[in-house]
Amino acid sequence: MSARFGRTELPGQQEKALRSAIRIEWWTIAFLAVAITMVYLVMGSSQAMKAAWIEDMLSLAPPFAFLLAVRLVNKRPNAKYPYGYHRSVGVAHLVAGVALFTMGAFLTFDSASGLISAEHPPIGGVVLFGQTIWLGWLMMAAMALTIPLPIWFGRVKMRLAKELHDKVLYADADMNKADWMTAAGSIVGVAGIGLGLWWADSAAALFIAVSILWDGCKNMKASITDLMDTRATTFDDGRPHPVTEKVDDLLRGLPWVKEVGSRTRDQGHVFHIESFIVPRPGMMPSLEELAEARDACIDLDWKVQDIVLVPIEELPEEVGGPDRNRQSERNR
Amino acid sequence: MSQLPGQVAMVGGMMRIRGLIVAAALSVVMLSGCASVPADPEGTLDRVRDGVLRVGVTEHEPWVQLQGGEEPTGTEPELIVEFAGQLGAEIAWTTGSEAALMESLERGELDVVLGGFLADTPWSDRGAATRPYAETQSGDETRQHVMLVRMGENGFQLALERFLHEETGL
Repeated sequence: MSARFGRTELPGQQEKALRSAIRIEWWTIAFLAVAITMVYLVMGSSQAMKAAWIEDMLSLAPPFAFLLAVRLVNKRPNAKYPYGYHRSVGVAHLVAGVALFTMGAFLTFDSASGLISAEHPPIGGVVLFGQTIWLGWLMMAAMALTIPLPIWFGRVKMRLAKELHDKVLYADADMNKADWMTAAGSIVGVAGIGLGLWWADSAAALFIAVSILWDGCKNMKASITDLMDTRATTFDDGRPHPVTEKVDDLLRGLPWVKEVGSRTRDQGHVFHIESFIVPRPGMMPSLEELAEARDACIDLDWKVQDIVLVPIEELPEEVGGPDRNRQSERNR
Repeated sequence: MSQLPGQVAMVGGMMRIRGLIVAAALSVVMLSGCASVPADPEGTLDRVRDGVLRVGVTEHEPWVQLQGGEEPTGTEPELIVEFAGQLGAEIAWTTGSEAALMESLERGELDVVLGGFLADTPWSDRGAATRPYAETQSGDETRQHVMLVRMGENGFQLALERFLHEETGL
Protein backbone atom coordinates (compact mmCIF):
# COMPACT_ATOMS: atom_id res chain seq x y z
CA MET A 1 0.00 0.00 0.00
CA SER A 2 1.46 3.33 -0.98
CA ALA A 3 1.40 5.61 2.02
CA ARG A 4 -0.91 8.48 1.29
CA PHE A 5 -3.92 10.21 2.75
CA GLY A 6 -6.09 11.02 -0.25
CA ARG A 7 -4.09 13.30 -2.51
CA THR A 8 -1.41 13.86 0.11
CA GLU A 9 1.80 11.90 -0.22
CA LEU A 10 3.07 11.32 3.30
CA PRO A 11 6.52 12.62 4.23
CA GLY A 12 9.04 9.92 5.20
CA GLN A 13 8.58 10.28 8.96
CA GLN A 14 4.79 10.05 8.80
CA GLU A 15 4.97 7.17 6.38
CA LYS A 16 7.07 5.25 8.89
CA ALA A 17 4.67 6.19 11.68
CA LEU A 18 1.72 4.96 9.61
CA ARG A 19 3.37 1.61 9.00
CA SER A 20 4.16 1.24 12.72
CA ALA A 21 0.59 2.18 13.58
CA ILE A 22 -0.86 -0.44 11.23
CA ARG A 23 1.50 -3.06 12.64
CA ILE A 24 0.71 -2.26 16.26
CA GLU A 25 -3.02 -2.29 15.58
CA TRP A 26 -2.74 -5.82 14.19
CA TRP A 27 -0.79 -6.82 17.28
CA THR A 28 -3.50 -5.25 19.43
CA ILE A 29 -6.17 -7.30 17.68
CA ALA A 30 -4.13 -10.49 18.16
CA PHE A 31 -3.61 -9.68 21.83
CA LEU A 32 -7.29 -8.90 22.38
CA ALA A 33 -8.37 -12.14 20.69
CA VAL A 34 -6.23 -14.09 23.18
CA ALA A 35 -7.32 -11.96 26.15
CA ILE A 36 -11.04 -12.24 25.27
CA THR A 37 -10.82 -16.03 25.01
CA MET A 38 -8.84 -16.34 28.23
CA VAL A 39 -11.13 -14.09 30.26
CA TYR A 40 -14.23 -15.82 28.86
CA LEU A 41 -12.94 -19.19 30.05
CA VAL A 42 -12.56 -18.07 33.66
CA MET A 43 -15.33 -15.45 33.79
CA GLY A 44 -17.77 -17.44 35.95
CA SER A 45 -20.44 -15.28 37.54
CA SER A 46 -18.29 -12.34 38.55
CA GLN A 47 -19.87 -9.06 37.52
CA ALA A 48 -16.50 -7.31 37.38
CA MET A 49 -15.06 -10.01 35.14
CA LYS A 50 -18.05 -9.69 32.83
CA ALA A 51 -17.54 -5.93 32.63
CA ALA A 52 -13.84 -6.41 31.91
CA TRP A 53 -14.65 -8.98 29.24
CA ILE A 54 -17.09 -6.67 27.48
CA GLU A 55 -14.54 -3.89 27.72
CA ASP A 56 -12.01 -6.11 25.95
CA MET A 57 -14.51 -6.89 23.21
CA LEU A 58 -15.26 -3.20 22.72
CA SER A 59 -11.55 -2.46 22.56
CA LEU A 60 -11.58 -4.32 19.25
CA ALA A 61 -13.62 -1.54 17.64
CA PRO A 62 -10.98 1.23 17.50
CA PRO A 63 -8.23 -0.97 15.94
CA PHE A 64 -10.64 -2.22 13.27
CA ALA A 65 -11.97 1.30 12.70
CA PHE A 66 -8.42 2.55 12.30
CA LEU A 67 -7.38 -0.19 9.87
CA LEU A 68 -10.53 0.29 7.80
CA ALA A 69 -10.15 4.06 7.79
CA VAL A 70 -6.50 4.04 6.63
CA ARG A 71 -7.59 1.82 3.75
CA LEU A 72 -10.41 4.17 2.77
CA VAL A 73 -8.52 7.45 3.08
CA ASN A 74 -5.93 5.95 0.79
CA LYS A 75 -8.31 6.63 -2.12
CA ARG A 76 -8.02 9.88 -4.02
CA PRO A 77 -10.86 12.37 -4.19
CA ASN A 78 -13.10 11.80 -7.21
CA ALA A 79 -16.20 13.23 -8.84
CA LYS A 80 -18.53 11.42 -6.44
CA TYR A 81 -16.45 12.18 -3.32
CA PRO A 82 -14.95 15.57 -4.20
CA TYR A 83 -13.58 16.14 -0.68
CA GLY A 84 -11.94 12.71 -0.58
CA TYR A 85 -12.55 9.94 1.95
CA HIS A 86 -10.95 11.57 4.97
CA ARG A 87 -14.20 11.84 6.89
CA SER A 88 -14.31 8.04 7.20
CA VAL A 89 -11.96 8.59 10.14
CA GLY A 90 -14.54 10.84 11.79
CA VAL A 91 -17.32 8.34 11.15
CA ALA A 92 -15.22 5.50 12.59
CA HIS A 93 -14.50 7.65 15.62
CA LEU A 94 -18.21 8.34 16.14
CA VAL A 95 -19.14 4.67 15.84
CA ALA A 96 -16.49 3.70 18.40
CA GLY A 97 -17.68 6.48 20.73
CA VAL A 98 -21.34 5.43 20.56
CA ALA A 99 -20.44 1.77 21.15
CA LEU A 100 -18.45 2.72 24.24
CA PHE A 101 -21.19 4.96 25.55
CA THR A 102 -23.98 2.39 25.08
CA MET A 103 -22.01 -0.39 26.71
CA GLY A 104 -20.94 1.85 29.57
CA ALA A 105 -24.54 2.85 30.22
CA PHE A 106 -25.72 -0.76 30.15
CA LEU A 107 -22.97 -1.97 32.48
CA THR A 108 -23.48 0.91 34.90
CA PHE A 109 -27.17 0.01 35.19
CA ASP A 110 -26.38 -3.72 35.47
CA SER A 111 -23.80 -3.44 38.23
CA ALA A 112 -25.68 -0.74 40.13
CA SER A 113 -28.80 -2.92 40.24
CA GLY A 114 -26.62 -5.86 41.38
CA LEU A 115 -25.33 -3.70 44.20
CA ILE A 116 -28.77 -2.43 45.19
CA SER A 117 -30.43 -5.86 45.22
CA ALA A 118 -27.40 -7.19 47.16
CA GLU A 119 -26.59 -10.02 44.76
CA HIS A 120 -23.98 -12.35 46.25
CA PRO A 121 -21.83 -13.56 43.35
CA PRO A 122 -21.05 -17.28 43.58
CA ILE A 123 -17.53 -18.27 42.53
CA GLY A 124 -16.81 -21.95 43.01
CA GLY A 125 -13.95 -24.24 42.15
CA VAL A 126 -12.44 -25.81 39.06
CA VAL A 127 -10.44 -28.99 38.79
CA LEU A 128 -6.93 -28.42 37.45
CA PHE A 129 -4.49 -31.34 37.33
CA GLY A 130 -6.66 -33.31 39.74
CA GLN A 131 -6.79 -30.47 42.29
CA THR A 132 -9.92 -28.48 43.07
CA ILE A 133 -8.84 -24.86 43.21
CA TRP A 134 -10.85 -21.68 43.62
CA LEU A 135 -11.79 -20.14 40.26
CA GLY A 136 -11.10 -16.70 41.74
CA TRP A 137 -7.36 -17.38 41.64
CA LEU A 138 -7.58 -18.15 37.91
CA MET A 139 -9.62 -14.99 37.33
CA MET A 140 -7.03 -12.85 39.05
CA ALA A 141 -4.18 -14.53 37.19
CA ALA A 142 -5.92 -14.07 33.82
CA MET A 143 -6.59 -10.41 34.48
CA ALA A 144 -3.01 -9.84 35.69
CA LEU A 145 -1.77 -11.27 32.37
CA THR A 146 -3.80 -8.70 30.45
CA ILE A 147 -2.21 -5.71 32.22
CA PRO A 148 1.34 -5.23 30.84
CA LEU A 149 0.77 -5.24 27.05
CA PRO A 150 -1.97 -2.56 26.92
CA ILE A 151 0.34 -0.24 28.89
CA TRP A 152 2.93 -0.56 26.17
CA PHE A 153 0.37 -0.40 23.32
CA GLY A 154 -1.13 2.76 24.79
CA ARG A 155 2.20 4.55 25.02
CA VAL A 156 3.31 3.70 21.49
CA LYS A 157 -0.08 4.62 20.02
CA MET A 158 -0.14 7.95 21.83
CA ARG A 159 3.16 8.87 20.16
CA LEU A 160 2.00 7.69 16.72
CA ALA A 161 -1.35 9.47 17.06
CA LYS A 162 0.49 12.73 17.56
CA GLU A 163 2.77 12.07 14.59
CA LEU A 164 -0.11 11.18 12.26
CA HIS A 165 -2.70 13.57 13.68
CA ASP A 166 -5.05 10.61 14.01
CA LYS A 167 -7.87 10.86 16.53
CA VAL A 168 -9.02 7.25 16.15
CA LEU A 169 -5.54 6.16 17.12
CA TYR A 170 -5.67 8.59 20.03
CA ALA A 171 -9.03 7.18 21.15
CA ASP A 172 -7.53 3.71 20.90
CA ALA A 173 -4.55 4.67 23.04
CA ASP A 174 -7.03 6.01 25.58
CA MET A 175 -8.96 2.77 25.39
CA ASN A 176 -5.80 0.76 26.14
CA LYS A 177 -5.41 2.79 29.30
CA ALA A 178 -9.00 1.97 30.23
CA ASP A 179 -8.21 -1.70 29.54
CA TRP A 180 -5.54 -2.13 32.14
CA MET A 181 -7.39 0.02 34.61
CA THR A 182 -10.31 -2.37 34.17
CA ALA A 183 -8.09 -5.41 34.64
CA ALA A 184 -6.64 -4.02 37.87
CA GLY A 185 -10.14 -3.08 39.05
CA SER A 186 -11.54 -6.55 38.49
CA ILE A 187 -8.61 -8.10 40.38
CA VAL A 188 -9.57 -5.95 43.36
CA GLY A 189 -13.21 -7.02 42.95
CA VAL A 190 -12.47 -10.75 42.86
CA ALA A 191 -10.01 -10.42 45.75
CA GLY A 192 -12.83 -8.74 47.69
CA ILE A 193 -15.09 -11.73 47.08
CA GLY A 194 -12.26 -13.95 48.32
CA LEU A 195 -12.30 -12.03 51.58
CA GLY A 196 -16.04 -12.54 51.90
CA LEU A 197 -17.03 -9.04 50.80
CA TRP A 198 -19.91 -9.78 48.44
CA TRP A 199 -20.25 -6.12 47.41
CA ALA A 200 -16.63 -5.76 46.26
CA ASP A 201 -17.33 -7.36 42.89
CA SER A 202 -20.33 -5.20 42.01
CA ALA A 203 -18.54 -2.11 43.29
CA ALA A 204 -15.51 -2.84 41.09
CA ALA A 205 -17.84 -3.52 38.14
CA LEU A 206 -19.57 -0.19 38.74
CA PHE A 207 -16.24 1.59 38.80
CA ILE A 208 -15.24 -0.05 35.51
CA ALA A 209 -18.63 0.69 33.93
CA VAL A 210 -18.45 4.36 34.84
CA SER A 211 -14.97 4.61 33.33
CA ILE A 212 -16.28 3.02 30.09
CA LEU A 213 -19.19 5.45 30.11
CA TRP A 214 -16.83 8.36 30.59
CA ASP A 215 -14.63 7.19 27.71
CA GLY A 216 -17.73 6.95 25.55
CA CYS A 217 -18.84 10.49 26.40
CA LYS A 218 -15.40 11.92 25.69
CA ASN A 219 -15.05 10.17 22.35
CA MET A 220 -18.61 10.86 21.27
CA LYS A 221 -18.21 14.55 22.03
CA ALA A 222 -14.87 14.76 20.22
CA SER A 223 -16.13 12.97 17.11
CA ILE A 224 -19.40 14.92 16.92
CA THR A 225 -17.65 18.26 17.23
CA ASP A 226 -15.19 17.19 14.51
CA LEU A 227 -18.03 16.20 12.20
CA MET A 228 -19.61 19.59 12.99
CA ASP A 229 -16.46 21.21 11.56
CA THR A 230 -15.34 22.72 14.80
CA ARG A 231 -12.06 24.60 14.44
CA ALA A 232 -9.13 22.26 13.93
CA THR A 233 -7.45 21.17 17.15
CA THR A 234 -4.39 19.13 18.03
CA PHE A 235 -4.73 15.32 18.01
CA ASP A 236 -5.80 15.23 21.66
CA ASP A 237 -8.30 18.13 21.31
CA GLY A 238 -6.08 19.97 23.80
CA ARG A 239 -5.76 23.28 21.95
CA PRO A 240 -6.39 24.92 18.55
CA HIS A 241 -4.08 23.49 15.91
CA PRO A 242 -1.18 25.88 15.20
CA VAL A 243 -1.31 25.37 11.43
CA THR A 244 -4.14 27.90 10.92
CA GLU A 245 -2.09 30.64 12.46
CA LYS A 246 0.98 29.61 10.47
CA VAL A 247 -0.99 29.92 7.23
CA ASP A 248 -2.31 33.34 8.27
CA ASP A 249 1.18 34.54 9.19
CA LEU A 250 2.64 33.36 5.89
CA LEU A 251 -0.06 35.06 3.80
CA ARG A 252 0.08 38.24 5.86
CA GLY A 253 3.77 38.48 4.99
CA LEU A 254 3.07 38.71 1.24
CA PRO A 255 3.40 42.22 -0.26
CA TRP A 256 -0.08 42.28 -1.84
CA VAL A 257 -1.96 41.13 1.24
CA LYS A 258 -3.69 43.63 3.52
CA GLU A 259 -5.76 41.40 5.78
CA VAL A 260 -6.18 37.63 6.05
CA GLY A 261 -8.34 35.17 7.99
CA SER A 262 -8.69 31.40 7.58
CA ARG A 263 -11.19 28.71 8.37
CA THR A 264 -9.71 25.24 8.94
CA ARG A 265 -11.67 22.00 8.89
CA ASP A 266 -10.17 18.83 10.29
CA GLN A 267 -11.00 16.15 7.73
CA GLY A 268 -9.52 13.33 9.77
CA HIS A 269 -5.83 13.41 9.07
CA VAL A 270 -5.55 16.39 6.76
CA PHE A 271 -7.01 19.87 6.83
CA HIS A 272 -9.15 21.72 4.35
CA ILE A 273 -8.45 25.42 4.64
CA GLU A 274 -10.27 28.43 3.25
CA SER A 275 -8.19 31.57 3.51
CA PHE A 276 -9.98 34.88 2.94
CA ILE A 277 -7.61 37.58 1.75
CA VAL A 278 -8.23 41.29 1.42
CA PRO A 279 -5.65 42.58 -1.13
CA ARG A 280 -4.02 45.99 -0.72
CA PRO A 281 -5.76 48.69 -2.79
CA GLY A 282 -4.69 48.47 -6.43
CA MET A 283 -2.66 45.29 -5.84
CA MET A 284 -5.12 42.60 -6.95
CA PRO A 285 -2.93 39.44 -7.21
CA SER A 286 -2.33 37.74 -10.55
CA LEU A 287 -3.04 34.03 -10.98
CA GLU A 288 0.68 33.34 -10.69
CA GLU A 289 0.90 35.19 -7.37
CA LEU A 290 -2.10 33.26 -6.04
CA ALA A 291 -0.62 29.93 -7.14
CA GLU A 292 2.70 30.78 -5.49
CA ALA A 293 0.95 31.71 -2.24
CA ARG A 294 -1.03 28.45 -2.33
CA ASP A 295 2.09 26.33 -2.87
CA ALA A 296 3.88 28.09 -0.04
CA CYS A 297 0.99 27.25 2.29
CA ILE A 298 0.99 23.58 1.24
CA ASP A 299 4.73 23.43 1.93
CA LEU A 300 4.12 24.56 5.52
CA ASP A 301 2.76 21.25 6.79
CA TRP A 302 1.84 17.91 5.22
CA LYS A 303 -1.65 18.23 6.72
CA VAL A 304 -2.40 21.27 4.53
CA GLN A 305 -3.76 19.27 1.66
CA ASP A 306 -6.56 21.29 0.23
CA ILE A 307 -6.35 25.05 0.52
CA VAL A 308 -8.58 27.60 -1.18
CA LEU A 309 -7.49 31.25 -1.38
CA VAL A 310 -10.40 33.66 -1.62
CA PRO A 311 -9.65 37.30 -2.51
CA ILE A 312 -12.45 39.37 -1.00
CA GLU A 313 -13.18 43.03 -0.24
CA GLU A 314 -13.82 42.53 3.50
CA LEU A 315 -13.12 39.64 5.88
CA PRO A 316 -16.10 37.54 7.04
CA GLU A 317 -16.94 38.01 10.69
CA GLU A 318 -15.98 34.41 11.68
CA VAL A 319 -12.35 34.89 10.74
CA GLY A 320 -11.81 38.29 12.28
CA GLY A 321 -13.83 40.63 10.05
CA PRO A 322 -15.97 43.49 11.46
CA ASP A 323 -18.83 42.43 13.70
CA ARG A 324 -22.06 42.87 11.78
CA ASN A 325 -25.55 41.47 12.07
CA ARG A 326 -26.40 40.18 8.66
CA GLN A 327 -28.42 37.31 7.27
CA SER A 328 -26.03 36.28 4.51
CA GLU A 329 -22.93 37.40 2.68
CA ARG A 330 -25.04 39.43 0.28
CA ASN A 331 -27.37 41.25 2.68
CA ARG A 332 -24.91 43.73 3.96
CA MET B 1 9.75 20.68 23.97
CA SER B 2 7.06 22.24 26.11
CA GLN B 3 4.55 19.88 27.67
CA LEU B 4 1.18 19.68 25.99
CA PRO B 5 -2.00 19.70 28.08
CA GLY B 6 -2.72 16.19 26.83
CA GLN B 7 0.55 14.94 28.24
CA VAL B 8 -0.16 16.50 31.59
CA ALA B 9 -3.52 14.73 31.70
CA MET B 10 -1.77 11.50 30.71
CA VAL B 11 0.71 11.76 33.58
CA GLY B 12 -2.16 12.37 36.02
CA GLY B 13 -3.94 9.30 34.67
CA MET B 14 -0.77 7.22 35.02
CA MET B 15 -0.49 8.01 38.72
CA ARG B 16 -4.10 7.06 39.34
CA ILE B 17 -3.66 3.84 37.41
CA ARG B 18 -0.38 3.00 39.12
CA GLY B 19 -2.23 3.37 42.43
CA LEU B 20 -4.87 0.99 41.19
CA ILE B 21 -2.32 -1.63 40.18
CA VAL B 22 -0.62 -1.35 43.55
CA ALA B 23 -4.03 -1.84 45.19
CA ALA B 24 -4.66 -4.89 43.03
CA ALA B 25 -1.25 -6.39 43.84
CA LEU B 26 -1.66 -5.62 47.55
CA SER B 27 -5.06 -7.27 47.74
CA VAL B 28 -3.68 -10.41 46.10
CA VAL B 29 -0.78 -10.51 48.56
CA MET B 30 -3.16 -9.96 51.48
CA LEU B 31 -5.37 -12.70 50.11
CA SER B 32 -2.65 -15.29 49.82
CA GLY B 33 -1.79 -14.60 53.48
CA CYS B 34 -5.30 -15.55 54.54
CA ALA B 35 -5.99 -19.18 55.37
CA SER B 36 -9.67 -19.14 54.48
CA VAL B 37 -9.91 -17.84 50.95
CA PRO B 38 -12.55 -17.69 49.65
CA ALA B 39 -14.43 -16.65 52.78
CA ASP B 40 -18.23 -16.83 53.18
CA PRO B 41 -19.98 -13.47 53.54
CA GLU B 42 -22.50 -15.15 55.90
CA GLY B 43 -19.97 -17.53 57.50
CA THR B 44 -21.73 -20.77 56.44
CA LEU B 45 -18.68 -23.05 56.53
CA ASP B 46 -17.60 -21.90 60.01
CA ARG B 47 -21.11 -22.38 61.37
CA VAL B 48 -21.54 -25.84 59.83
CA ARG B 49 -18.19 -27.16 61.08
CA ASP B 50 -18.97 -29.06 64.31
CA GLY B 51 -22.47 -27.62 64.06
CA VAL B 52 -25.56 -28.28 61.95
CA LEU B 53 -25.79 -28.64 58.17
CA ARG B 54 -29.27 -27.63 57.00
CA VAL B 55 -30.22 -29.68 53.96
CA GLY B 56 -33.36 -29.27 51.83
CA VAL B 57 -34.55 -32.36 49.94
CA THR B 58 -37.18 -32.79 47.29
CA GLU B 59 -38.08 -36.18 45.85
CA HIS B 60 -36.36 -37.14 42.60
CA GLU B 61 -35.51 -40.82 42.18
CA PRO B 62 -32.93 -42.24 42.17
CA TRP B 63 -31.10 -39.14 43.39
CA VAL B 64 -33.32 -38.40 46.36
CA GLN B 65 -35.84 -40.87 47.84
CA LEU B 66 -38.17 -39.95 50.66
CA GLN B 67 -40.11 -42.42 52.83
CA GLY B 68 -42.38 -40.98 55.48
CA GLY B 69 -40.70 -40.75 58.87
CA GLU B 70 -37.32 -42.05 57.75
CA GLU B 71 -34.15 -40.25 56.77
CA PRO B 72 -33.90 -39.44 53.04
CA THR B 73 -32.00 -41.96 50.95
CA GLY B 74 -30.58 -41.96 47.41
CA THR B 75 -27.19 -41.01 46.00
CA GLU B 76 -27.34 -37.36 46.96
CA PRO B 77 -28.34 -37.73 50.63
CA GLU B 78 -25.67 -40.44 50.98
CA LEU B 79 -23.01 -38.04 49.64
CA ILE B 80 -24.15 -35.19 51.88
CA VAL B 81 -24.19 -37.42 54.98
CA GLU B 82 -20.57 -38.32 54.24
CA PHE B 83 -19.71 -34.62 53.71
CA ALA B 84 -21.37 -33.64 57.00
CA GLY B 85 -19.44 -36.42 58.73
CA GLN B 86 -16.14 -34.97 57.50
CA LEU B 87 -17.10 -31.58 58.91
CA GLY B 88 -18.31 -33.12 62.17
CA ALA B 89 -21.77 -31.72 61.53
CA GLU B 90 -25.27 -32.97 62.32
CA ILE B 91 -27.83 -32.80 59.52
CA ALA B 92 -31.19 -31.06 59.82
CA TRP B 93 -33.40 -32.29 56.95
CA THR B 94 -36.17 -30.18 55.47
CA THR B 95 -38.54 -31.57 52.83
CA GLY B 96 -40.62 -29.51 50.45
CA SER B 97 -41.27 -28.53 46.86
CA GLU B 98 -38.44 -27.18 44.73
CA ALA B 99 -39.95 -23.67 44.86
CA ALA B 100 -40.35 -23.70 48.66
CA LEU B 101 -36.83 -25.04 49.22
CA MET B 102 -35.24 -22.52 46.84
CA GLU B 103 -36.99 -19.70 48.65
CA SER B 104 -35.62 -20.94 51.96
CA LEU B 105 -32.14 -21.29 50.44
CA GLU B 106 -32.27 -17.71 49.21
CA ARG B 107 -33.35 -16.48 52.65
CA GLY B 108 -30.45 -18.34 54.26
CA GLU B 109 -32.61 -20.89 56.10
CA LEU B 110 -30.95 -23.77 54.25
CA ASP B 111 -27.32 -24.40 53.31
CA VAL B 112 -27.77 -26.86 50.45
CA VAL B 113 -30.69 -28.22 48.41
CA LEU B 114 -30.76 -31.71 46.87
CA GLY B 115 -33.19 -32.93 44.23
CA GLY B 116 -31.40 -34.35 41.20
CA PHE B 117 -30.77 -30.87 39.79
CA LEU B 118 -28.96 -30.46 36.47
CA ALA B 119 -26.20 -27.96 35.66
CA ASP B 120 -28.57 -25.95 33.44
CA THR B 121 -31.17 -25.69 36.22
CA PRO B 122 -33.70 -22.85 35.89
CA TRP B 123 -33.12 -22.11 39.60
CA SER B 124 -29.62 -20.73 38.89
CA ASP B 125 -30.66 -17.19 39.85
CA ARG B 126 -31.74 -18.34 43.32
CA GLY B 127 -28.97 -20.73 44.24
CA ALA B 128 -25.43 -21.48 43.10
CA ALA B 129 -24.88 -24.79 41.31
CA THR B 130 -21.82 -26.79 42.35
CA ARG B 131 -19.48 -28.32 39.80
CA PRO B 132 -21.16 -31.37 38.23
CA TYR B 133 -20.45 -34.41 40.40
CA ALA B 134 -22.09 -37.00 38.13
CA GLU B 135 -22.99 -37.42 34.49
CA THR B 136 -25.77 -39.50 33.01
CA GLN B 137 -26.70 -40.19 29.44
CA SER B 138 -30.21 -39.43 28.21
CA GLY B 139 -30.47 -40.17 24.53
CA ASP B 140 -27.90 -37.96 22.83
CA GLU B 141 -27.44 -35.45 25.62
CA THR B 142 -25.16 -35.73 28.61
CA ARG B 143 -26.84 -34.61 31.82
CA GLN B 144 -24.64 -33.06 34.46
CA HIS B 145 -25.86 -33.40 38.01
CA VAL B 146 -25.29 -30.68 40.60
CA MET B 147 -26.32 -29.65 44.10
CA LEU B 148 -27.48 -26.13 44.88
CA VAL B 149 -25.91 -24.04 47.64
CA ARG B 150 -26.62 -20.56 48.95
CA MET B 151 -25.48 -17.79 46.60
CA GLY B 152 -22.09 -16.26 47.35
CA GLU B 153 -21.11 -18.64 50.19
CA ASN B 154 -18.01 -19.43 48.20
CA GLY B 155 -15.97 -21.01 50.98
CA PHE B 156 -18.74 -23.50 51.71
CA GLN B 157 -19.35 -24.11 48.00
CA LEU B 158 -15.66 -24.79 47.37
CA ALA B 159 -15.47 -27.17 50.36
CA LEU B 160 -18.45 -29.14 49.01
CA GLU B 161 -17.02 -29.16 45.49
CA ARG B 162 -13.68 -30.39 46.78
CA PHE B 163 -15.44 -33.19 48.65
CA LEU B 164 -17.55 -34.17 45.64
CA HIS B 165 -14.51 -34.25 43.39
CA GLU B 166 -12.65 -36.52 45.79
CA GLU B 167 -15.69 -38.80 46.18
CA THR B 168 -16.74 -39.11 42.55
CA GLY B 169 -13.54 -38.22 40.70
CA LEU B 170 -15.47 -36.04 38.25
